[in-house]
Amino acid sequence: MIRTIEREDNSLVKGLQLFFKQLLETKEIDALFLPVQLKNSTSIMPNLVTDLAQLDRALPLSPAFPINSARMVSRLSYKASGRKTAVVLRPCEMRAFIELIKLKQGSRQELILIGMDCPKALTSSDYTAYMNPNSSTPPLDTSPLDNNPLDWDAYIQTVFSQTSDTLNGFDFSPACRTCENPFPMNADINILLQGVDLSRGMMVESGSDLGVNFLERLALPEAVKPEARDEIMLQIKEANFKANQAMVKDIEERTDSIVKLNAFFDRCINCYNCRNMCPVCYCKECVFNTDVFNHQPVQYHQWAEKKGAIKLPTDTVFYHLTRMAHMSHACVGCGQCSTACPSDIDVFQLFKSVAQRTQAAFEYFPGTDENQPPPLSVFCEHEFEGTVGITRE
Amino acid sequence: MEPFEPVIIAFVCNWCTYTAADLAGTSRLSYPTNIRLIRVMCTGMVDPQYVIKAFLEGADGVLISGCHPGDCHYINGNYKARRRIKLLKEILPRFGIEQERLRLTWIGASDGIEFAQVMTQLNDQIIEMGPSQTRMNVAI
Repeated sequence: MIRTIEREDNSLVKGLQLFFKQLLETKEIDALFLPVQLKNSTSIMPNLVTDLAQLDRALPLSPAFPINSARMVSRLSYKASGRKTAVVLRPCEMRAFIELIKLKQGSRQELILIGMDCPKALTSSDYTAYMNPNSSTPPLDTSPLDNNPLDWDAYIQTVFSQTSDTLNGFDFSPACRTCENPFPMNADINILLQGVDLSRGMMVESGSDLGVNFLERLALPEAVKPEARDEIMLQIKEANFKANQAMVKDIEERTDSIVKLNAFFDRCINCYNCRNMCPVCYCKECVFNTDVFNHQPVQYHQWAEKKGAIKLPTDTVFYHLTRMAHMSHACVGCGQCSTACPSDIDVFQLFKSVAQRTQAAFEYFPGTDENQPPPLSVFCEHEFEGTVGITRE
Repeated sequence: MEPFEPVIIAFVCNWCTYTAADLAGTSRLSYPTNIRLIRVMCTGMVDPQYVIKAFLEGADGVLISGCHPGDCHYINGNYKARRRIKLLKEILPRFGIEQERLRLTWIGASDGIEFAQVMTQLNDQIIEMGPSQTRMNVAI
């Protein structure tokens, strides 16, 4: 079922806000979880909204991507709350949340998942500079300041009408430039913009029976899926696939030995931000926070005596390699690890290049099929027999 | 130049390969002393982390060895180990640690002779490959 979300006051943003208000007014849901521009601030953060008036600041279609919300939705849904929540997520957030559902760290039981065509993202520091041009060095032509729907409309028009990799001189996040699936999947309701004639409005499509029920309640005008959409999606996928190939090739050359990998992480300060912001780094307590790595003082001396010198903090490359072994099969490519890195290390590029290998080895596609079990949680009797034995290939 | 003496770490399961090593010992079979055995209760408990740590500390080879499929004391630990080794064989070669340096074998409790043979063969292979790149450039 496809319907149109018409412009309101000639604004796409207001039209979408009206759509969310109508959803809340059905009384079928108790709250909405979606990006909202904070009061007296240019920051857009995920909010749990229960008041209609607060939806005037709802801005899901912006380049702000401060956090992968899958983790937040996990907090809202890992146990029953007795409330129904509609959750608006970017495609990579949706994929991550599906992974968390598989790990029993979230549930769709009380949720209505709303996906959308990805509005792309800037890294957090670029977003701040984009929003506050006066306090930043790069000169900007225009910038949507405060909550001006028409400026945000201009952003939406731009990002969904051209395939440019830059926005007012800022590059979109490397994760977005190499994303092979920036389209909604596994949601109950999908918000569509690619290929849609935005002069009238955007479209909503049902992705499940639950979605059909909701869309039927809202008196939205009927629509037909735009013909050009499939073609445009294919073009974007192909372009980003190529960009991804180039990125992987580059990062592989930069890190193809342990010595190079060591140099790659030479600025790493073991802050573990990349782990904390990773939506699929699922352990409740990371082994690197446990006493296992709370080494005795004498241990450091012994290492230093053995090698002549050791860098502190220790265990840097060890940590990153272990994280690859633990979560790379589930990496959804959202790029938040790089965004969170205070030392500007290309963590995302490295992890994505490894994730491609591990995901291919197990034919695992994170976040696409809720029924595909995580590869290290299952096994078959006859598989990977080539990995056993000591005969040389 | 001194001949290359590799360091090989072997994680062996208590119920099969460790027992086989014991049998090799009581049968007075000899095998290379470059191999350091670490007894674990099951190959299914060998976290990829242990293997990574061994390589980063300069091991030239790592062996994981346990019960034959179907014989696991804990029913299926060895099948889980096989998936983890597959995973590591995708990750480690990406950083120049050749996948032949990481081995998984099944050696049953009564296979003392096979144990000694496999250890000798593995040692020969690692000597042929030469020292691991991490040995001189220890990264921790």
